[in-house]
Amino acid sequence: MDDLGTNAENTWCPGCGNFGILNAFKKAVLKLEEKGIQRENIVISAGIGCSAKIFDYINLSGIYGLHGRDIASVQGIKFANPDLKCVTFSGDGNAMGEGLAHMLFAAKRNADITIIMHHNSVYALTTGQVTPITNKGWKGPSTPRGSVEEPLNPLTLLLEAGATFLARGYTAKIDHLTDLIEQAIEHEGFSFIDVLQPCVSWNNTYKLYNELTYVLEDEPKTHDEALKLSRRIDKLPIGVFWRDEKPPFHDALYGSLNPSINSLSREKRLEMITNLLKF
Amino acid sequence: MVKEIFTFLVGGKAGEGVKKAGSVAADVLAGMGRNVFQMDDYMSLIRGGHNFSVVSSAPRKIYSHYMKADLVVCFDKRSYDNHSDQVAEGGILVYNSDDKDGMNGMGVPLTSEAKKYPVRNLMFGVGAVAILCAALGYDKKYTDDLIAQQYPKGTEDNQAYASTIYDHVFPEIGGKFKLEEGDTVRRIVFGNQAIALGAIAGGLSVYYAYPMTPASSLLHYLAAQAEKFGLAVIHPENEIAVMNMAVGSSFTGAKTMVGTSGGGFALMVEGFSLAGITEAPVLCVLSARPGPATGVPTYTEQADLNFALSAGHGEFLRIVASPGTLEEAFYLTAQMLDLVWKFQTSGILLTEKHLSESSTTIELQPDNIISAGGVEFQGNGYKRYLDTEDGVSPLLFPPSHEVIKWNSYEHDDLGITTEDPYWISRMHDKRNKKIDALKKYMKSINTVNVYRGEHPSNVITYGSTTMSVIEALKYGQINPTVVQPVYLNPFPVWEFEEFKDQTNIVVEQSSTGQFADLLREKAGIRIKEVIKRYDGRPFDPMELSKKIKEGL
Repeated sequence: MDDLGTNAENTWCPGCGNFGILNAFKKAVLKLEEKGIQRENIVISAGIGCSAKIFDYINLSGIYGLHGRDIASVQGIKFANPDLKCVTFSGDGNAMGEGLAHMLFAAKRNADITIIMHHNSVYALTTGQVTPITNKGWKGPSTPRGSVEEPLNPLTLLLEAGATFLARGYTAKIDHLTDLIEQAIEHEGFSFIDVLQPCVSWNNTYKLYNELTYVLEDEPKTHDEALKLSRRIDKLPIGVFWRDEKPPFHDALYGSLNPSINSLSREKRLEMITNLLKF
Repeated sequence: MVKEIFTFLVGGKAGEGVKKAGSVAADVLAGMGRNVFQMDDYMSLIRGGHNFSVVSSAPRKIYSHYMKADLVVCFDKRSYDNHSDQVAEGGILVYNSDDKDGMNGMGVPLTSEAKKYPVRNLMFGVGAVAILCAALGYDKKYTDDLIAQQYPKGTEDNQAYASTIYDHVFPEIGGKFKLEEGDTVRRIVFGNQAIALGAIAGGLSVYYAYPMTPASSLLHYLAAQAEKFGLAVIHPENEIAVMNMAVGSSFTGAKTMVGTSGGGFALMVEGFSLAGITEAPVLCVLSARPGPATGVPTYTEQADLNFALSAGHGEFLRIVASPGTLEEAFYLTAQMLDLVWKFQTSGILLTEKHLSESSTTIELQPDNIISAGGVEFQGNGYKRYLDTEDGVSPLLFPPSHEVIKWNSYEHDDLGITTEDPYWISRMHDKRNKKIDALKKYMKSINTVNVYRGEHPSNVITYGSTTMSVIEALKYGQINPTVVQPVYLNPFPVWEFEEFKDQTNIVVEQSSTGQFADLLREKAGIRIKEVIKRYDGRPFDPMELSKKIKEGL
């Protein structure tokens, strides 16, 4: 597994939940390789934030993008070369704030990408501000008297937007998370994993999540069941919430074309343009 | 009377077939082997308002429409009020006598005749075509065939209507204009079509855009051609996605372009800066309209020059070029696509509504097009940001056993994030070396068009205003040298030495004279006068030639 790492200095806090995601992802890549999906066919992206630092720690090709825009960039990779498996790592501020429109549209169009959302409910790298999914009342440097907004629910939003693979994992359950990542990458279409990720510095939720999470025995069979499950807050089920089969965006739009590979030759292009300009 | 230039103007409400009538007129005139230039003036609405289409033609190459028209057809009173003083000497004005009678010119009951048919409003355009055919002395058979070819829906009704209108006007204006035929029948192309074809010829694979006038027709044209040419043409949620997706696509090696106008480009600039630091080859077509903000959506202006030159935070190479004619738009788009790949950076093809949406007869030589390329890495031990002599690192695309990391953070040569002072300054130096390398390369290509004249003075202009200037000089029979920088960043100062201290007049469509300021600042050009127009309308050659004469 070591050769999936890089020489970059790891700057996460000791005990950070992100280590769980890093380890689970590496394990998932190795398991996918056993199934014949070579690592060079897996490309990664990341937004900005503690979550995104993972880009430097994984020895795979990709784009370390802009805050929230990684979700657009990773789709751009997929659309131009549909043979690649495309994964992006977004924090909950990244995905649900700056990148929300990109994420909803990626789900709506069933873009064949995987979003791994590091769910720590805090802007950790910018010192603890409220995120779009933080519970009301959060006291951070931008909301010293407590946030007054209700949180968004990523899973219900994405269910409504048309996501075809939705799951929740927990960084302390690495084998379970590895399995979810593997399934998400294998899924043809939009996949999203909401990964509960304690932030030891600003929002240490280990105790809470250890108490509240439980592994789903049965996947919801209907959209309504999935919605109901995603709204649950007394307990936090982890596992696959929803899966559906729909043609991925690139396939629906241009079939088997791979724009980065099947480009017409110069001669062919010029000949066609010359004919087009003729009477 | 045999005329060199013949202009046809048709005006009416949106939905009455104004633009179509203009296009048919352009086809008729081009069919005579003449050169044509069509400019459509339309409002930002779908039904009603006032739109007009003006088509000028000549046996020689023609670079602009003329606002004084030989044949003016008005579908309603508003058109009459707008255009009755734009009839050229010896010209004819035909108006809709059902809308208001007793006006100067020839009244024709366009509405009451159209009422005899089920879809009457769209028929006005057909009526205008019939009037043009009569005035040019074409017979009914020609007119019938033309209508059948150009209006495939409801052909019989349209032919019957055209025949009635033809009979109304023929006794008075039949064969009034005898036009000299030209040498060959040429294809008519609109500006965004020339850009699209240039991009495809140059190797385009992926195009992203969010609709925005006047760049939308580029999206529409490419979307229509996508299947045939094997392109991915995608309309995502907004311009932010457009630019960031484009960076993603160029990461795979696909030649990628985006298109928009000022407001959409404002949303793209964060991603434009991403292209700068990741060294992503992305070409953006920026077709300007009057700003600020929403401005005037369907009109023209050159006020986004400074914005284009400095778009995106941070220091990086931005290539900016602007085509002066539709022909140039074709070749330049391909050349720009090549340059952004050669130098791995973002580029802007800056144009305006006046070029994007105007149409003209055109002769293109696709074989002269440049194919976009770049150096691809071979071997082992790939470093995405390897520092080289010219600052250009070898490219490699996934899937590869090598790891290819593009990074929006400052990075080392492997593409790993860094805060190390050594790497920060080294990467700045590396990227800046590309600016020098590009300048050196630009000295080997044409970066400034110089149309030599005999008058000892120069008119300096750029973009679509070049067409207005060339036509104004032809009309006014004045011949100063016309200097048109095609490349605006890096600015080809080396080409401007000889003009520096001569008599220079600048013509541009901006209220503050951004282009004149650029010439002063970059090339130390002494400027006698700046002729500006900023009411959203392109220059008229007659009016512009008068101003240039006064200035010289």
